[in-house]
Amino acid sequence: MSDHIDGPRQIGDPSSDLTDLFAFISPENPASTVLAANVFPTCGADAVFSNAVDHSIVVRRAKVTGIGDATKFETSDPEIRFTCRFDTLERGAADQKPIQRGTCTLPDGQTLRFVTNDEKGASTPDGTFRIFAGMRSDPFILAWLFGGGMRKFQNLLFNDNVLCIAIEFETRRVLNPDNGSLFAVIAETVPRPRPAAFVGHEPPRLDWVGRPEQTNMRLNNEGVAGADDLRDLWNQQTPFGIDEKVRPLFLQRLKDSLVNWDMRDGKQDWTPSALAANANMFLDDFMLFDVAKPITDTSHLEIEKSTLNGQPYQTGGGRTVDADVIDVLLTWMVNRDREFLEGGTTKATKPGTKNFPYFAAPNTDLQSVVESVELGAAPERVWQLIGQFGGTWHPLIANIKLIGTGIGQLRVIETIDGKQIIERLDALDNSARSYRYTNIGGIPASDYTGVLEVKPKGVGSSVEWRSQFLPNGPGTLITKTIVATLFKTGLESLKSRF
Amino acid sequence: MSEAAEFHDTCFQTTDGDIAVINLESARLRSWSRFYQDPMREGIAETVVEHEQLSAQFAGDLTALDRLEFLAKQLSQTDAASARTALIQAQVASMKHRFAEARHHLEQAEIRGAQEAEVNRLRLSLDQACGTNLDRVLDERRETVRRSGGIEDQVALAGLLADLREFSDADRTYGQALRNYRDVSPFPVAWVCFQLGVLWGELVPEPQTNRASQWYERALERLPGYTKARVHLAEIYSSSGRAADAESVLIPALSSGDPEVLWRLADAMAIQGKTADAEAQMQAARSEFNSLLERHPLAFADHGAEFYAGSGNDFRRALELALVNVTNRPTLRALEQAHEIAVSAGDSNAAVSLLGKAIERWGDTAGFKSSPLAARRLASQEGAAA
Repeated sequence: MSDHIDGPRQIGDPSSDLTDLFAFISPENPASTVLAANVFPTCGADAVFSNAVDHSIVVRRAKVTGIGDATKFETSDPEIRFTCRFDTLERGAADQKPIQRGTCTLPDGQTLRFVTNDEKGASTPDGTFRIFAGMRSDPFILAWLFGGGMRKFQNLLFNDNVLCIAIEFETRRVLNPDNGSLFAVIAETVPRPRPAAFVGHEPPRLDWVGRPEQTNMRLNNEGVAGADDLRDLWNQQTPFGIDEKVRPLFLQRLKDSLVNWDMRDGKQDWTPSALAANANMFLDDFMLFDVAKPITDTSHLEIEKSTLNGQPYQTGGGRTVDADVIDVLLTWMVNRDREFLEGGTTKATKPGTKNFPYFAAPNTDLQSVVESVELGAAPERVWQLIGQFGGTWHPLIANIKLIGTGIGQLRVIETIDGKQIIERLDALDNSARSYRYTNIGGIPASDYTGVLEVKPKGVGSSVEWRSQFLPNGPGTLITKTIVATLFKTGLESLKSRF
Repeated sequence: MSEAAEFHDTCFQTTDGDIAVINLESARLRSWSRFYQDPMREGIAETVVEHEQLSAQFAGDLTALDRLEFLAKQLSQTDAASARTALIQAQVASMKHRFAEARHHLEQAEIRGAQEAEVNRLRLSLDQACGTNLDRVLDERRETVRRSGGIEDQVALAGLLADLREFSDADRTYGQALRNYRDVSPFPVAWVCFQLGVLWGELVPEPQTNRASQWYERALERLPGYTKARVHLAEIYSSSGRAADAESVLIPALSSGDPEVLWRLADAMAIQGKTADAEAQMQAARSEFNSLLERHPLAFADHGAEFYAGSGNDFRRALELALVNVTNRPTLRALEQAHEIAVSAGDSNAAVSLLGKAIERWGDTAGFKSSPLAARRLASQEGAAA
């Protein structure tokens, strides 16, 4: 994954774990640039930002100082830095979630207060800067499995959310492209120092990200035999200034890793000198973008690739919300753009939007319903009645028709009010007295899995019926009520039978 | 300035405890959702285990054990023959203190090709929990700390040193863990503070309750929802004439459902003369303990024994549970607890038998010298000589 869960230290507090960095021209206003950084991979529905971390996006002016096998991009001061800090939580209104506010310190030193998850964001009085921070659908696409080769797969981040910081600003006033339109950007999370807290210690960096997959695919390539995990060491480096003492270590790892990637399709597409140049380029880990050229869904890495190919770059590089960066990167590393490598899908869970904050609204999480009843009868007796997938013991069921046999069979249920529900048997364990099924239709939900189970309880038994699903259609509460009523009515009816 | 206060003043900022708990609970639910969507996918079940462990440890959510049991069962149905299923089954069994079962699953994991490092890590935990091969465990823990320096490894080493009654070394190792910590998650910091509270409040031969309470307070500053820290702090408050403070500390933890909260609250209320309220809490505690012991008898045998030997006021039941615990893991601490209860229950046969077992297993160790059982051995030897 791009920079998701890229080292053991991030797992301690996942809200400090950077997942992705973006740089693109504002879809709302071509005169503005948007920089965005996401944290907290696969975060839950109530996730909030850490109040102990500075979240920064840092831009430096860049220039091309070498091409072909001598490719080099140099960056220079001053830094253009945006730093967001988040407060502890404030109590929300009755039945509402807590509120979190934050402050963004802008490159000119002024501060901008905002409330997280406010889609309108907050703007400076002159409209130069606008910021959003809050939960969004993770736009990242990883539709490959790499264990033992490369296999196309569904998007491994389907339905995931992240915490997003998106900053939009007037390009001319902030970046002054007349002095050069090429820039390098990174994002970093750093613990907030306490005055006099670190005697003799600089606050360590928790995570940083430049180009996608520096850590999880290039530095930590499982295909490189006997390679130690260098990700934590990398994450503690200073962006734009990797420690000279450890540069050779990282460079060698990048070379070894790129050799491995080159040979993943069994063909060598990189000469040793070109591969070394590519490794050198990746070692200077920042994302390049040029505000004077078009930044599109396909322009990601074009600046670097053209320069390595000895040609002037044509696009603004950068990275848009919908850029399929993994496929772009894999194609470059595996076959040097000889043949485009497309994963199992090129679509994220939700595409980016044309309006601020440009990242789609969060995905709905799976909902669950659990109902149970305790009965005086032995589990075997209860299972005898309800353990048949096609059994008609439920009072709301008028008729059941079975299609097929064994695992995979379908039951077509006709309810007493004339509705039809279709479900498929996925697993059956008579010794454990449980079965698992998937709803195919008839309940306003998707990804619906149900489990019915009878367990011993004292001298009697306990029947548990549970389900997980994504609400689809009338809304979460209505769907949960429908399912809960179905479960409760069925389980309550057992009391009179045992 | 006390060491706990000094630590607080010179320490780094960690994520607010309420935020950390919200994020943990939220991530826990999300990991279950992902598990339901694709139980076979690498890493998802492992994440569920990690979140549930954190939830049980820091939020006092004891139903985590029930959920983990369900997870292990689901995996045994969907991915029965894999190394990862066996490894997770071993982890879950270990959390429930079903150590023999955990070892069986661990062997299966090894046979099925689980990573050696993962198998070894869990095997060390099992040995430490059961008090077996402690010399080897100590060597390996020291080596792990030397190599990684991670806070989890340092806390495991310090815990072992405390088990071995090397209290100064344990204290020093906990201190190093805090000084070396460079992350923002409050969980590890609160954990170390809590462990230092236990060390100075319960494990050393002459407990220093003031020192212990300061560490528990530090733990709660980092993580207000840390149920165990509330329980232990309340116990000290109650025993030092601060029953009202004990009650205040426990009230926020009531929602955890932990019966120890109910028990200590009942004690604090009884001291203040709130007899009816105390009785109601004690009834609830008894009921919750019974329920937990029915579902997870080994996991809560020692806690149940402590309860019934204390305000639960049923020494027979206490001894029964303490013996279950000793059979499951004959550590010196388990034997000390069972012996003390046997003496209080007036069961001299059991007491003699337990003393014999303790001498046989631990009598030659350095740690035994500071055990109350050492004095018992001396007394019994003198009695025999006379």
